[in-house]
Amino acid sequence: MKIVILGKGGQGVIFFSRIIAQAAINRGLSVYSTEIKGMAKKGGTVEIQMKIGQGMCGLVKKGSADLVILLSDDLIDYAKTFGNNVFTFKKEEIQAALERVSMRFVNIFLLGVFVKRAKFFEMEDFIKILDEENRESFLKGYEYV
Amino acid sequence: MQKLYISGNEAIAYGLIESGIKFISGYPGTPSSEIIPSAQKIVKERGIKAFIDWAVNEKVAYESAYAASLCGIKAAVTMKQVGLNVAMDPFMNSAYVGTDSAMVLISVDDPGPHSSQTEQDSRFFAMGAKIPVFDPSTIQEAYEFAKKAVELSEKYSIPVMLRSSTRVSHGRADVKIVGSMPVDSIKVQFKTLKDWEKKLWRYAATPRQRLMLHNKLNKIISEIESLNELKFFFHGPLLLISSGAVFSYLYELIEEYGLHEKVTLAKADMPYPLKNFDFPKFQRIITIEESTPVIELQLCTEGRRNGIVPKEGELTIEVCEDILEKIGLIKREKRGSSPPLKRPSLCPGCGHRIALYAVKKVFGKKAIYNGDIGCYTLALNFHVTDTVLCMGASVSFAFGMKKAFSLAEKQQDFVAIIGDSTFFHSGIPPLIDSVHYRVPFLTIILDNKSVAMTGNQKTLSDNKSSFGETTAPIYIEDVVKGIGVKFVETVDPYNFEDSIKTLKEAKKYLKEKAEPAVIIFRHLCINTKEGLELNPKYSVKISKELCKGCKVCVLEFECPAIEFKDEEKKAKINDTLCIGCGCCIHICPTKAIVLVE
Repeated sequence: MKIVILGKGGQGVIFFSRIIAQAAINRGLSVYSTEIKGMAKKGGTVEIQMKIGQGMCGLVKKGSADLVILLSDDLIDYAKTFGNNVFTFKKEEIQAALERVSMRFVNIFLLGVFVKRAKFFEMEDFIKILDEENRESFLKGYEYV
Repeated sequence: MQKLYISGNEAIAYGLIESGIKFISGYPGTPSSEIIPSAQKIVKERGIKAFIDWAVNEKVAYESAYAASLCGIKAAVTMKQVGLNVAMDPFMNSAYVGTDSAMVLISVDDPGPHSSQTEQDSRFFAMGAKIPVFDPSTIQEAYEFAKKAVELSEKYSIPVMLRSSTRVSHGRADVKIVGSMPVDSIKVQFKTLKDWEKKLWRYAATPRQRLMLHNKLNKIISEIESLNELKFFFHGPLLLISSGAVFSYLYELIEEYGLHEKVTLAKADMPYPLKNFDFPKFQRIITIEESTPVIELQLCTEGRRNGIVPKEGELTIEVCEDILEKIGLIKREKRGSSPPLKRPSLCPGCGHRIALYAVKKVFGKKAIYNGDIGCYTLALNFHVTDTVLCMGASVSFAFGMKKAFSLAEKQQDFVAIIGDSTFFHSGIPPLIDSVHYRVPFLTIILDNKSVAMTGNQKTLSDNKSSFGETTAPIYIEDVVKGIGVKFVETVDPYNFEDSIKTLKEAKKYLKEKAEPAVIIFRHLCINTKEGLELNPKYSVKISKELCKGCKVCVLEFECPAIEFKDEEKKAKINDTLCIGCGCCIHICPTKAIVLVE
């Protein structure tokens, strides 16, 4: 499976991607990924390309992604260059994340939302790898949907 | 054996430490910067005794690691590809002199370039120096080749290069690592009373002896070359040769398009020195490699030189696809182009922004601003940088340009802008020349006590090493005064009025005394935990009544936390991005930016 995750510096995009990767590795799948984050800390785009269970490198060709996860709405046009299946978060989901967990865990709350809605992964895969604080926020997101 | 989801740079660190490397030096530079912190973490966790820390620049890093190798300690040095230019002198020489224990250079290339000045190919420099070079295609290989590089260096007593690239170093994968680390005691040996003369000639060789050393090196390279075979995959009549990350793209494309019967793919684990092959059975032989024709020149194949492979730019998987189409192997639909992405800016609250805004205010738009390598290069966005070449060139440029203008008897203000780490790296020598030749220009040293651009590595002003040992902090003021600069002032740029006053004094000094002046703007990087915690916190708003929509805050101050609302023609603070530094209060011409009481 080829995945692209897009967001901005400070959104926890890299942590988000690493949890997905670890979940796949625990299932015995290979994971290759590439992170483009040059000046991400300066408000730039963070782009993770990932291949799960296939290939030799993390690069995902334009137009070939099975799934694009978008954490920052203004990157929608760019997201579509990777593939048509773009997963976005609804306004109320982001609002709920901001209200129900502290800023640090917003990405993990949204990961929970993603796992429930996208149905690409099993909830149990994530429960195993997350520590207590993260698990709590993850479940809040998962149960919100 | 364990499986870890790690980056290429972490994989390299594991490979080095597992091979018994006990001395690593380097200078930060994207995409190489994570190797040293990863290696530090590995030895700290396991209680392995080692010296792993940053050097003032790449030349010093190379020489100090190499010296350790001559004393019998396995050593490595890390840098980005343009850093190798700085270390070129010891690098070239060390090939002749050889090593006594392993010496591995990790040089990380950046085709694209994503965050570098050039697309130069470190493999080409290895070939020029007659140093063998490994070129990993995957993260797993980055780990394995780091070990192979140490082995080869030990076996033949010459330095070996491990060349990585952005895609390998910043890629991640589940890597199988052995995980056992040698904890053997460290032994050193250099000068021996017996037979020292017999050894000395190598370490302090005369030109005649250099010729002998060169001859010895040639013999070693010939032997390594004779054993360095390509690896072959698939079995078609067209031969494609590659190395590094590009190999993995080609492998994937051959599988995706089912070209198994049409193409044979060859891989060079070590692109130099390459054994010459006789390829009678292939119709055509094309090398696809990044970024210089290293394999292509050695094996005399088609590729970059006859225009099949683009002469510049990263060979992304899409570009590799274009190449396969050009050769006539595949046909595919046209791709859409990507929309441009938002340009990066200095962080909200960055001390550099308000410092450089004050500089611009006093020296004006006519002054020529010689910039340098670091976060502050982004001052380009708000017109306080007119030149950027390479590390330290801000000061030499201001010196050279000011001299050039004075030869033509033309008055012109010059301001060199350089960060603390870049100043130590290579800004000091040109400042020495400027003092010596009495060239009047202002050098601004932006001291945030961090190598911020490459991920906040420690600087020479720290009083602790990465291992917590006491170090002697180096004071920029002492260095600058020691060189002989007489106008040296230090200001916290958050004190805007002080900045303006000091800048005006410097301007007057340059005119009256006609000698170089230095202002140090010191404010901790707010991208560090300490810097953010110690930073003042205000609540700021923009008054709708007072804002005239002049856009100074957006275009000339360029804080990402200030947005311009086109429909209202007013500026507005973005509260999510704003860190409450309060700097913008000083810059609004209509005083519309105010503190919320």
